[in-house]
Amino acid sequence: MTASRVQDCAALRLPTCRSCPRPFRGCHRDMVILRAGLCPGLTAEMIQLLKANSIATVVDLVSSDLEEVARKCSLSYKALVAVRRVLLAQFSAFPVNGADLYEELKSSTAILSTGSKSLDKLLDSGLYTGEVTELTGAPGSGKTQVCLSIAVSTSHDLKQNVLYVDSTGGFTASRLLQLAQTRTGDEEEQVEALQRIQVARVFDVYKMLDVLQELRCSVSQQVLSSSGPVKVLVVDSVSAVICPLLGGRQAEGLALMMQLARELKTLARELSMAVVVSSLAFALLVLGWEQGIRS
Amino acid sequence: MSDGFRKAESGTQLLARLEGRSSLKNLEPCLFADEGFPIHGDVVEFHGPEGTGKTEMLYHLIARCVLPKSGGGLEVEVMFIDTDYHFDMLRLVTILEHRLSQSTEEMIKLCLGRLFLVNCNSSTQLLLTLYSLENKFCAHPSLCIVILDSISAFYWIDRSNGGESFNIQEMNLKRCAEFLEKLVREHHLVLFATTQTIMQKSSNSTESSIPLKLHCEADVEYRPYLCKSWQQMVTHRIFFSKQCNFSSSKAFSIVSCHTKKTHIIKCSFSVAECGVQF
Repeated sequence: MTASRVQDCAALRLPTCRSCPRPFRGCHRDMVILRAGLCPGLTAEMIQLLKANSIATVVDLVSSDLEEVARKCSLSYKALVAVRRVLLAQFSAFPVNGADLYEELKSSTAILSTGSKSLDKLLDSGLYTGEVTELTGAPGSGKTQVCLSIAVSTSHDLKQNVLYVDSTGGFTASRLLQLAQTRTGDEEEQVEALQRIQVARVFDVYKMLDVLQELRCSVSQQVLSSSGPVKVLVVDSVSAVICPLLGGRQAEGLALMMQLARELKTLARELSMAVVVSSLAFALLVLGWEQGIRS
Repeated sequence: MSDGFRKAESGTQLLARLEGRSSLKNLEPCLFADEGFPIHGDVVEFHGPEGTGKTEMLYHLIARCVLPKSGGGLEVEVMFIDTDYHFDMLRLVTILEHRLSQSTEEMIKLCLGRLFLVNCNSSTQLLLTLYSLENKFCAHPSLCIVILDSISAFYWIDRSNGGESFNIQEMNLKRCAEFLEKLVREHHLVLFATTQTIMQKSSNSTESSIPLKLHCEADVEYRPYLCKSWQQMVTHRIFFSKQCNFSSSKAFSIVSCHTKKTHIIKCSFSVAECGVQF
């Protein structure tokens, strides 16, 4: 699993999205272009010849009829077949046996208490790693307070790291400290608890996706922060970054929304984090967002 | 591709391709109009809005497939392609536990051993994964069901990535559909795929997709939005919906129709702790 995650990450980074002014528009994020060194056996001359026959990406090569390509580009059929096999192994997802996955899940799934008895009861004893939990409600109904208190109880009671992504400006350090003070009188413990909470302030969806992708890459490349892996990701709120996108060019807004939902689910599943997102109640009416997300 | 002549294959490959697939006669008679079961080569589409029981129905089918013959199952292998991170293993285990007469840990694992799972994150990865799975179907003659949940997952992302050109927008999906059709046909598989109702009802159709006239006069509104290659390969389409009157115990209902025949069947089911119940 780890190996494929690293690869995945490398594939994402290939055509740098950062060069486009608007990251996800018109730029094929996962369209991997053939280049020398991409896989053993794929030489620069081969790529030249393939390009001349308008085969530029991995998908182009893998889905073309190799016999015909071999003839047209006067390349060795055998070499092409070998390259295709390696590319497929490198870029396709690998099927896992159900029994193995079950074993893995049994050892990796954790249930993290939210620190509030009634909320735990509602969530079937707490936040599950591997799942996305959505808090939703009208403005002023306490979503941000719940987010903050989940962050503090994770960092203080469970001694786990939290990444808090704030897109509304609702995060205040003084409130966090207050919450920590209710749990312990010891100042050192309070400081320790607050140190385990990292905060990222983002004000648009592109920045949010950047933060999430960075998190995914840093974990999969095992560049661990000094303190250990992030166990809980809090995003307060998703509707603040999504709502401005809807209404204009619909396809683009929906695509970004799906991208964000997908990124959150990927983080939850692949890095076995518990993900908590908050959203305004009306945002739930938006099509498609809810799929696969446990409210 | 080169359909001029067939590539040579060894006798074992041929046998694996044609002989090994066992019958799916008892899969789930309630789901299928006409024959009452899917035959090899069929493509079944589950269509409906979110929360109408599509994925639950898939768990039900998986359970029917992987349970041992002694427990009333079919004892065949299933490939589950998950594009939404939708699949919940713990849920499937709960369902299996309820259906096994003695649900020991070994028994559960034996059943789950017949299931293969693969996650795909983009339509490109889905396509490459499908290409790489071909060998798997050759090597596993008892692998006869492929489930794809869902095939519409990348729709908006592809739409946006493809820029102005409609062809580029649906290129990957078209290639996926074409290759799936080839896989299903050549390896005698049955494909179940879900599509979400992501288009709003009766919006003034400015999109270039032409709403198909439903031959079966059912009370379902269906607006195809996926590429043509997909629309053409579907042999059964099953519409899922949630019933509004909460008085009845069966909250979900389905309408099943064969795309080439007029016969339709309707039935309703409920979802309990132990899974789908008709």
